[in-house]
Amino acid sequence: MSDPQLTNLIKMIDQIIANNLHHGDDDQVTDVAAGHLQKFWARSMKQQVIAYANSEGADLSPLAQKTIAKLQAVS
Amino acid sequence: MLNYYDPGTQSYEAGKSILNPDFDFGTPARVSENLVTVSIDGREIAVPEGTSVLRAAALAGINIPKLCASDNLEPFGSCRLCAVEIEGRRGYPASCTTPVSEGMDVTTQTGKLAKLRRNIMELYISDHPLDCLTCPANGDCELQDVAGAVGLREVRYGFDGKNHLDAEIDDSNPYFSFDPSKCIVCSRCVRACEEVQGTFALTIEGRGFDSIVSASQNEPFMDSECVSCGACVQACPTSTLMEKSVIDAGQPEHSVITTCAYCGVGCSFKAEMKGEEVVRMVPYKGGEANHGHSCVKGRFAFGYATHKDRIKEPMIRESINDPWQVVSWDEALAFSAKKLRGIQTEFGRESIGGITSSRCTNEETYLVQKLVRAAFGNNNTDTCARVCHSPTGYGLKTTLGESAGTQTFDSVMKANAIVVIGANPTDAHPVFGSLMRRRLRQGAKLVVIDPRRIDVLKTPHADEGLHLPLRPGTNVAMVNAMAHVVITEGLEDKEFINSRCDTEAYNAWRTFIAEARNSPEAMEEVTGVPAAKVREAARIYAEAENGAIYYGLGVTEHSQGSTMVMGIANLALATGNIGREGGGVNPLRGQNNVQGSCDMGSFPHELPGYQHVSDPEVRERFKAVWGVEIDHEPGLRIPNMFDAAIAGTFKALYVQGEDIAQSDPNTHHVEAALKALDCLIVQDIFLNETAKFAHVLLPGSTFLEKNGTFTNAERRINRVRKVMEPIAGMEDWEVTMALSNALGYPMNYNHPSEIMDEIALLTPSFTGVNYDKLERLGSIQWPCNDEHPDGTPTMHTLDFPIGKGRFAVTEYLATEERASRRFPLLLTTGRILSQYNVGAQTRRTANSDWHEEDLLELHPSDAELRGVKEGDWLGISSRVGHTVLRAKLSTRMLPGVVFTTFHHPGSGANVITTDNSDWATNCPEYKVTAVQVEKVSQPSDWQRNFVDFDKRQQDFAKPAEEHSSDAHASALK
Ligand code: SF4
Ligand code: SF4
Ligand code: SF4
Ligand code: FES
Repeated sequence: MSDPQLTNLIKMIDQIIANNLHHGDDDQVTDVAAGHLQKFWARSMKQQVIAYANSEGADLSPLAQKTIAKLQAVS
Repeated sequence: MLNYYDPGTQSYEAGKSILNPDFDFGTPARVSENLVTVSIDGREIAVPEGTSVLRAAALAGINIPKLCASDNLEPFGSCRLCAVEIEGRRGYPASCTTPVSEGMDVTTQTGKLAKLRRNIMELYISDHPLDCLTCPANGDCELQDVAGAVGLREVRYGFDGKNHLDAEIDDSNPYFSFDPSKCIVCSRCVRACEEVQGTFALTIEGRGFDSIVSASQNEPFMDSECVSCGACVQACPTSTLMEKSVIDAGQPEHSVITTCAYCGVGCSFKAEMKGEEVVRMVPYKGGEANHGHSCVKGRFAFGYATHKDRIKEPMIRESINDPWQVVSWDEALAFSAKKLRGIQTEFGRESIGGITSSRCTNEETYLVQKLVRAAFGNNNTDTCARVCHSPTGYGLKTTLGESAGTQTFDSVMKANAIVVIGANPTDAHPVFGSLMRRRLRQGAKLVVIDPRRIDVLKTPHADEGLHLPLRPGTNVAMVNAMAHVVITEGLEDKEFINSRCDTEAYNAWRTFIAEARNSPEAMEEVTGVPAAKVREAARIYAEAENGAIYYGLGVTEHSQGSTMVMGIANLALATGNIGREGGGVNPLRGQNNVQGSCDMGSFPHELPGYQHVSDPEVRERFKAVWGVEIDHEPGLRIPNMFDAAIAGTFKALYVQGEDIAQSDPNTHHVEAALKALDCLIVQDIFLNETAKFAHVLLPGSTFLEKNGTFTNAERRINRVRKVMEPIAGMEDWEVTMALSNALGYPMNYNHPSEIMDEIALLTPSFTGVNYDKLERLGSIQWPCNDEHPDGTPTMHTLDFPIGKGRFAVTEYLATEERASRRFPLLLTTGRILSQYNVGAQTRRTANSDWHEEDLLELHPSDAELRGVKEGDWLGISSRVGHTVLRAKLSTRMLPGVVFTTFHHPGSGANVITTDNSDWATNCPEYKVTAVQVEKVSQPSDWQRNFVDFDKRQQDFAKPAEEHSSDAHASALK
């Protein structure tokens, strides 16, 4: 993937997930992570990762995918 | 010296509880519940037990002559001028060292006392030059005043005996001179340096007649341990220690009380003026943050305000390769508005944004975010607090419910154990550092958690503190290990936890923290600190009656900055150190108005008062006042703006009073982002690094040129008052207002007080704040509302804004930035006392005499390994960049850790820092960069380009006739 902006966003999601793993099972973790994105990320950043998840999404971990799916559902 | 003893002043007004801060009551106040009644010259007065007779008299409006006493110093009893007669006692006791006792009957004026005092003065004057008329202290000299008060008329001893009249002047300090011929050896300077500043640089050398004040071992001030705080200069009753600015300009004729614009201590000052010229800054005794003390920056480094480099006129240009064109305000604003609207039309509403300043006032910050939200129509507003204390906002809001420190500074005087984490108070928050040292001298215990051995560990006359020199990047491991000790050794405050904290969150945290993997023994490998030391530190903190934590950017500027802030809050909650004086969680804020800029809604997700933009009820209230819809989605944060600029979707930025090009990490990346902008509007007092990439330059005003308020690290709102006219005619809030009007969103304020009224209307924690009340109370600590009409010194006394305190699980995760074979050292960064942040202000003052360049500190063993000697040029490389600094060998850090400051743009410290950031807030990880260091012979490529680019841009800003002709040809049409 060559888009540095997107690379950075994915790195940020991974970091957010990694720092919230203690919240429990995958469902709880992705709830918290999606909530964090919803609360702190700009519209354009959300749209970008959602668009990526809906198209290629190859660099997204399963938890990141799940997080973004939840984000898409609430926004 | 300002608080001089004025025999003509009536100091006591019955029923007035606030003492006149301009008056010197002779000895410090004593606190006691027992009142003692005495009669002084027939006047009865009741004072707290322990009060001196001198102070009691002053409170009763009776002025006893004095020379060696001052109410910010413990009495010394050396001059004997304050002698009095006390019924039933023999002789003439010194009233400054005599405490009152019940029923005491004191007489301050008798023939015998008058004669005694005249004799003493005669002796003083016989060894004092009689050049009063040409003396710089003329008009502000206590020796003169007392000579007048005692009626000295003749000096019988003549002036030709042994004297000190030929003593040499020490001019080494750039800001004050020392003329020993005027010294009366009252030792006020010595005591000020010890008691007020805590540096112990001065002593009285020799005995009897030969005694003389000396700095360190008879060194010039500049070479001594002196840190140039100026406390001794202020304490000196004569012109022996004297500000050079007063020697040059003469005595000031009026003064205005205002607030320091440097660090987050927020010291109050009297700007002493001659017309529009600041003659000197004297820390104001009535200032609640500083009580009459200051540091070298606030007191002396104000000359930048009138520096020739100030931007005096608005300028514009089409491209950063063009020379600047000087234009009128109207033209500059119209040009800006046209560009901004044009870009929005082409690239969308969200393609522009603004950055507020932690150095500007609350009112100015509020206006910039309002401009972005209302006139730009998006939430792309951020502040430099993003790169320093945004994790504090996140972490404290999550755990305690409010994004602010919990205490006053004075609270430290009740702390029994003080834990300092990733902060360096004696350099970065000097006046608070002095207060902390005072408490340490009184016996409070100290724990320092920092990769570097900081100076507070070397506090003279205090116990040696416990230093935990952890590996950079392992804070969370450390705080977890400490909490583990608290929980597993049963040191927690069960009652506090039960009554004040959320049980479910506590239980989850407790289970987590008690796991063996969080024990000091398990974490020893990670932090590099022996487990026994960690256990000791945890016990010191938890077992203290009052334990206080102070932290700085060494906590926040990490990939787990927010986690660490929560870890600190956990520790304080678990030990019940919240909600009373002496404890608390205290973020030390770097810049003067970091707290304020966060409070004022600078963050892209929060409106003023930390109200989230997604809350419809909140938006409705703002809409009612602002008359526009507010976007319900957060905007871009600074690092996100950079990424979007490089990607081509973010095109214009309005930056007020910030130098992102120098202060933000990964300079290459920042420069690429700035170059990608179509319109960069910089409002600043100097052509700073960011301005070199700008298309519009709007002249800013210094704190001396405007009205407003700053909020310091203890949530204290202090007034900033205008003492001179803004250099380009407009205060910063007026510029923002004019830009908004040019954009078609009307703003009409006549004075910052009207902006504050609007803030109070919209911000629940500010509803009770207004300029009249500030005038009346001097300062206010928010929350200030119906519940707390006079403000809130200590927070969370009864409950938390979120009801119960919330423990948060803080799992330690190693940063990706770790030492490797290629980059085996860890670089961490910090500040130094004499310089301030990007240095734009202090580099333009004599403060540079103390710190002319940034150096790379490295351990002798790392140096030896690389064949490096003190002063060698060192190339420092990280995975993102390369720069060159000179080496300084230092054992402050353990081997493997190197350190530098970032005060000079040419140093390129941020060329090597990476864009790693805090997971929750994107606050950059400045404090950990893996680097390699090697000897080199020339500056880095970046530095050479910097020099060229700097020269070119400086040239562009010179008046047209100074341009080379071809540069002129490409000027704006
Ligand atoms: S300037 Fe401050 S540090 Fe220096 S001698 Fe005076 S009181 Fe001490
Ligand atoms: S220098 Fe000033 S304060 Fe110090 S002993 Fe001399 S007269 Fe007193
Ligand atoms: S820089 Fe800080 S400590 Fe120094 S005078 Fe200013 S506010 Fe006070
Ligand atoms: S003022 Fe009391 S002895 Fe000097």
